[in-house]
Amino acid sequence: MSTPLSPAPNRANNTANNRTKANPFAWTLKDLVLLVVLGVVFGFLYWVFVQAWTALSILMGPAGDLAQHFLLGAWLIVAPIAVAIVRRPFAGVMAEVIASVIEVVFLGSAVGPLLFVAAALQGAGSELPFALTRYRNYSWLTYALSGLLGAGFVFFYSAFRSGWYGQDLFLIRLAIQLVSGVILGGLLAKLIVDGLVKTGVVDNFAIGRARLGDDHASR
Amino acid sequence: MSAPPIVVPAVAGMGRPATSVPRTPLTGPLARRNPTLKLALLFVVSAGLVFILDPVTPAVLYLLAAAAVVATARIRTRTLLLAQLPFVAFGAGLLVVNALSRPGEILWEAGILRVSVEGLVIGGSLALRTLVIGILSVAFALTTEPVSLMTSLHQHARLGARLTYAILAGYRMLQEMPREWVTIRQAHAVRAPLRSDGTLPRGVGALARAAFSLLVVSVRKGERMAQSLESRGLGLSPRSTWRPVPLVAADWVMVGGVLVVLVGVFVISAQLGFLEGPAALFG
Repeated sequence: MSTPLSPAPNRANNTANNRTKANPFAWTLKDLVLLVVLGVVFGFLYWVFVQAWTALSILMGPAGDLAQHFLLGAWLIVAPIAVAIVRRPFAGVMAEVIASVIEVVFLGSAVGPLLFVAAALQGAGSELPFALTRYRNYSWLTYALSGLLGAGFVFFYSAFRSGWYGQDLFLIRLAIQLVSGVILGGLLAKLIVDGLVKTGVVDNFAIGRARLGDDHASR
Repeated sequence: MSAPPIVVPAVAGMGRPATSVPRTPLTGPLARRNPTLKLALLFVVSAGLVFILDPVTPAVLYLLAAAAVVATARIRTRTLLLAQLPFVAFGAGLLVVNALSRPGEILWEAGILRVSVEGLVIGGSLALRTLVIGILSVAFALTTEPVSLMTSLHQHARLGARLTYAILAGYRMLQEMPREWVTIRQAHAVRAPLRSDGTLPRGVGALARAAFSLLVVSVRKGERMAQSLESRGLGLSPRSTWRPVPLVAADWVMVGGVLVVLVGVFVISAQLGFLEGPAALFG
């Protein structure tokens, strides 16, 4: 587990190869569990922080409806983190959907199962910029675009579901959500991923293989 | 996602994730129904309601849903009422925002504030929709045991064994998370410079550090979990299920009943001229 250099990547590659012969989309259990863990941790953290937030936004009354858009980006963050660590197609969509399942099934989210739809849209938006670079580019810009598209994709769905169309506030809502998406759903994700890499806990995942493989080659 | 993001299932303080205490056994007809079908019905009803934008239809559905929940869910009245408070507050917010920010026939005006008829109608519709989905979600959450829901999804919705058990392992992790959080905060407390009154730093920075530690610890734990699941051969062969969840005729009766009522209300509402679709948004 914690022997980062030679044996781990080989072993991982072997299992990956065995799986790809059977089904190119089959996931290793380790990657699946990582998506679940991300969903659980962020589900729990949202839940901790949201307690206070909901109370605040109820106290703020109608303004709370607008104010909660500032935090929208926080809901997107699971997808870019998952994509950056696992680096496979659909990682972002699956991570978001699993996170929403955990919120609905285990944490009793008020949105109900419609959250699955929103999660799939967010995941698709957040994953698209990484997919366009064929899961190779993890620069600040890609993360920022990821947050932007994640927020953008889900906005039109939320706008329909919550009846924002035809309100005077429509564009204000869009602007706040996009900015929040870029900052909380994109740039913050890069900070977290970089932090995780430094701790070494993700060395045995694709992100670690990419990094350590580079180190190895440069020697 | 704009609705109040997470509702604590309103029962017992922190709700499920906080406690690993076994919950009170679920009784009542609704609790005995198949969880997968309940989830699917909740999805269908919520999705159907999204396309309704008049206040009358959701109001009728709310009354019917409340009657059905009271009759079949055996939830204490106080619990049921308290659980709906967030939805009432959120719905009231929706009503006010729409009344104030939607152009249309002006009902009342003062300075920059104006209330339009269209705003009240659409706001009322959205607020009532929130209440309908709210009471059904509460009933679902309070009568459905998460583990049997996952088992049932595996049995009846063909959710893969590996994903099912990965999520169940995640559920276990979630239950332990409050304790993990306290442990991390205490570990930080041992070393952190305390504030002048001797208490822990509680700023955003301290909480963010604890949150990051939680993430790191959990990723590490997840890797161990994956290895132990894999070393037991999870997903390699067809498996038997511990405590299989039944799927019986009564479940299909429930599905039929709910769908008949839902469609019936839509049709009657349309014939009486109350029903409005999304076009109402664009005036």
